[in-house]
Amino acid sequence: MTFARTLTAAAALALLGVSFSAQAYDGDWKRGRVYYRSVCTSCHTSQSGHAFAPNEKTKAEWAAYLQADKHAKGKDTVKQYISKQYRASIKAQNKAAEKFADTPDQELFEDIKAFVTKGAKDGDSPAGCS
Amino acid sequence: MNRQLARWAFCAILVAGLPGVGVLGSAALADEAPPVKLNSTADHSKFKELQKKLESGPDVTRACLSCHTEAAKQVHRTKHWKWEFLNPQNNQKLGKQHVLNNFCISISQNYPFCTGCHVGYGWKDKNFDFTVEENVDCLACHDTTGNYKKPAGLAGHPAYKPIESPPGSGKILQPPDLTKIAQKVGKTTRDTCGSCHFYGGGGDGVKHGDLDSSMAAPDKELDVHMDATGLDFTCGTCHSTSSHDVPGSRYKPTAIDKHDAHIRGKVGQGNPATCQACHGNTPHKEHPRLNAHAEKIACQTCHVPTFARGGVATKMSWDWSTAGRKGPDGKHMTKKDAKGHVIYDTRKGDFVLGENVKPEYRWFNGDITYTLLGDKVEKSDIATPINRIAGSPADGRSMIWPMKIMRGVQPFDPVNKTLVMPHTAGNDDIGYWKNLEWEKAIADGMKNMDAPFSGKVDFIKTEMYWPITHMVAPKENAVACAECHTADSRLKGISGIYMPSHSNKGWLDLLGWLAAAATLAGVLVHGAIRIVMSRRK
Repeated sequence: MTFARTLTAAAALALLGVSFSAQAYDGDWKRGRVYYRSVCTSCHTSQSGHAFAPNEKTKAEWAAYLQADKHAKGKDTVKQYISKQYRASIKAQNKAAEKFADTPDQELFEDIKAFVTKGAKDGDSPAGCS
Repeated sequence: MNRQLARWAFCAILVAGLPGVGVLGSAALADEAPPVKLNSTADHSKFKELQKKLESGPDVTRACLSCHTEAAKQVHRTKHWKWEFLNPQNNQKLGKQHVLNNFCISISQNYPFCTGCHVGYGWKDKNFDFTVEENVDCLACHDTTGNYKKPAGLAGHPAYKPIESPPGSGKILQPPDLTKIAQKVGKTTRDTCGSCHFYGGGGDGVKHGDLDSSMAAPDKELDVHMDATGLDFTCGTCHSTSSHDVPGSRYKPTAIDKHDAHIRGKVGQGNPATCQACHGNTPHKEHPRLNAHAEKIACQTCHVPTFARGGVATKMSWDWSTAGRKGPDGKHMTKKDAKGHVIYDTRKGDFVLGENVKPEYRWFNGDITYTLLGDKVEKSDIATPINRIAGSPADGRSMIWPMKIMRGVQPFDPVNKTLVMPHTAGNDDIGYWKNLEWEKAIADGMKNMDAPFSGKVDFIKTEMYWPITHMVAPKENAVACAECHTADSRLKGISGIYMPSHSNKGWLDLLGWLAAAATLAGVLVHGAIRIVMSRRK
């Protein structure tokens, strides 16, 4: 029992260490705006004919969505579409992917999170698709 | 005891190791340098002055000035601060403090509303003290959060408590966290400049036609320089600013720039915001013939084929004479077109809006003369120019420029024969937008300017020129040759130029054909003589 408790405490401390590195970065909503519109919106529009505007969800809904990290109803992940690997795969056709080819994944994720939070239905500047 | 010791040793290794795994994990995830701020070399959140609670705009400025000691004094010397510009050519005192336009007309007695776009705090009437340093608003230009907003009606202050904005909309605007915003200041961006310049005339894209919110993050097709995934210019990339004084002026534009491309460090090179400041005067390397065009045609004429093409409509005309009509319920009303644009408002009259608008073209040498308060005007079918642009094919300093020409019908004094400055905005018993009484509103606005008003009101046609210079298209989308060299040319009506395929002059065409025929005949005769002569040998 004591061992389990100690182990849990150790794991929590470790996780805190990981999340701290993410929290230290202050998302750049303008960079997030460019990636969201040029990659996310552009692909959604061409693939499904419907792009999700930031103002279609509340801040809490966006936070939950990004936390869950489930894209296409869980078929894949959101982070996958933000990864360097994905950007490299589309950069020949997508200027935003090319522009941000070397941007660290976590930074870009925080940028997008900052943009959708700001542009959410109840955000500081609700944002449409364009 | 030994087992317990071993257990703690194991956990200690785990505790020490897991963050390492975490770090490695995140490193592996990204293979990347640690995150870093990119828009400033200073993390302002680390400065003690900005860690205390900042309650008001002037509080923020005081904190800024404790380090940036000269900044306010620099701002005080600019037209952004005084809204005043003395045209050295004709000594006209211009700037928003003095001019009229045919949009919302003027700032007189509308100060708390218009000065929501002033780089200062507290300009609520004509007695504003322009010498107070803490009245300078640093955040208007240096906010990076996008959360710093200055609603109309607060004389340039942000909201300090929750307010309904716009009044009557039911939308509650929360006061911004000034401390947090001050901790994140950075360089100016398209968003900061655009928070005012995109919304001139009272709404998105209303005034300029080539500046609207679509320029905040445009694609290449909309603006090849500002393309957010390409060159990503900010406004300041061209309007290269020194000591807070932003170059470029609509009161005295640079219509022709004979300087070569600017060289860094060289002084006296002129306006850095012209096309030539980067591209020089012979930019067409592959098609030198086009450089000859550039001697008389402004770059913008070909490279800005249309304006308002980012999906935001611009106002093309505004008829104040129809204002005042109420709905069947006796209340103020608005009418919208199929796209949802307001085309009639009880408070303002009728509007015509345009998207993807082809400019009109005029010879322009940069000289502009304004019709100011007190200047005599005559009502007629010919529109009174709010600003007269000068230029001709013969003066040696004019170019053919694209223009947005804003057309209006606005109130004037038919007895004194002057344009007027009405008090429009405000929740008082004078402002036109609430009371719909021109006489009272104009009397108040004119009294504020110490200008005479007869008490009579009529309406007069006006027009105002806006040179078009933003929304530069990629070269493949520039105006094509055939759009000018054709009977229905874009440049039809422009005097002093001969455009093949458009400017048909019978005698000149005949002369050309005769010259061609004579040349052909000469070649044939010469060839025939040579053949005959060679046979004789």
